[in-house]
Amino acid sequence: MSAPERTRVAITGMGVKSPAGNSVDEAYTTIMSAKSAATTVDELVAENAPVRFACMVPDFPMDGYVSLRERRQIDRGTQLALCAAADAVRDADLPTTLPAERVGVHLGTGIGGLTSMEATALNHGDDPAGIPVHTVPRTMANSAAARVAMRYGFQGSCTTYATACASGTTAIGEAARRIRYGELDAVVAGGFDSAITTIMVAGFARMRALSTRNDAPWSASRPFDAERDGFVLAEGAAMMVLERWDAAAARGARIYGEVAGYAANADAFNIVAPLADGAVAARCMALAIADAGLGPADIGHINAHGTSTRSNDSAEAAAISRCFGATAPPVTSVKGVTGHLIGGSGALEACVALVCAERGVVPPVANLADGDEFDFLDIVTGVPRAVPTAPALSNSFGFGGQNACLVLTPALWNS
Amino acid sequence: MELTRQELARTAQAAIAEVLGTDPGAINDHTDLQAEYDIDSLELMAVGAQLERTLDIQIEVEDLLKAETVGQAIDMLADRLATRA
Repeated sequence: MSAPERTRVAITGMGVKSPAGNSVDEAYTTIMSAKSAATTVDELVAENAPVRFACMVPDFPMDGYVSLRERRQIDRGTQLALCAAADAVRDADLPTTLPAERVGVHLGTGIGGLTSMEATALNHGDDPAGIPVHTVPRTMANSAAARVAMRYGFQGSCTTYATACASGTTAIGEAARRIRYGELDAVVAGGFDSAITTIMVAGFARMRALSTRNDAPWSASRPFDAERDGFVLAEGAAMMVLERWDAAAARGARIYGEVAGYAANADAFNIVAPLADGAVAARCMALAIADAGLGPADIGHINAHGTSTRSNDSAEAAAISRCFGATAPPVTSVKGVTGHLIGGSGALEACVALVCAERGVVPPVANLADGDEFDFLDIVTGVPRAVPTAPALSNSFGFGGQNACLVLTPALWNS
Repeated sequence: MELTRQELARTAQAAIAEVLGTDPGAINDHTDLQAEYDIDSLELMAVGAQLERTLDIQIEVEDLLKAETVGQAIDMLADRLATRA
């Protein structure tokens, strides 16, 4: 007896609120231009933060997305998540006839409501009895996922993943598994974070994770570059709508592509530093590619985690070459443009990687002149690189040694 | 200084409008917050918390829940303020 054909997971909607732009197309265009979104942040300057720049989501009218009534009960991270989710759901044009209990919400966040609780502590620390009534529902990590479920009445599993910087990737991968397992027919999946406060910045800076180029923010995020000195904190949210492929096809949905493979593992080595030889991260990539039923040679480009920290980029480069050998496909990192959205990064990069895979273009890494990793990896710099339409590998590695990889296959690609 | 009922009404309308993200003019004595706005208990508590601060009295959410209209809630607040005085 042959194994039953595995349920395929279609991507039918995408929504993005990011420093590179507030739609997938806008973000794609900015990323292709390789211009950093990092700017000086007045609040960080005023509060004398050790790092005084970040990548912020450009202002957009929130009125059409979130009512004033709801806005005063939720924080910015949740607002951005709701807006990106609304865009993705609208983009997918989900039929209203879907049974509510077959639609879920799976989100990832690294920082969740910590900054809200920070503000509450700073503003109400001397009068704890007088803190806002909505403090707990505003700050709980699952607030955004619950809000998305409430808004649309989705009654399937509603779960929030915390794998630090890998959270968005974890959420999309785990959501895809729910569809494969037969539990859900559709899922809103993605990640978000908004944590650009003096205390959060100081926390990351204290462990020397952030670039300190206060005098030249636009040049601070430089993944794989020899002169890199840390990541640039960013905010934002990105969401996908995933659906059972057969159901999506049957309803005539526009299918962007497929979450073809996913894997997750853990370095189990150090609370923040990656394993320098990349052995476990390499295994994660290989597992994701195998999960997609593909081999390394099928991957058209790699959207690296590429944070612009010294240790991530060198360990990731080692992992890529360990997984792919001498024939690794072109590698890019969008964080030179977008900065690091923490929980939002993996989801944004999944959206971007899929669009790039479909259009056959790999964006150049911003601010990258030269680095050790050039000796053995084909890292795209300068101008966009044309590649054949093919599946993309999107990597995310979080503090805690959390590795998560997705293989995203464009609908146009036929193996 | 004693608040007139009209002043008290204005204070209550402002607190309610703030929580519901609406215009104070949309709230009047006949407004039924449950039926018209589907107000939930946390939102009602947020209204109560704001009025407690502004009026310097203690308000239990149960008291607010008993009122069927905003007008009844304002009457309750007026009674409370009168007994305090």
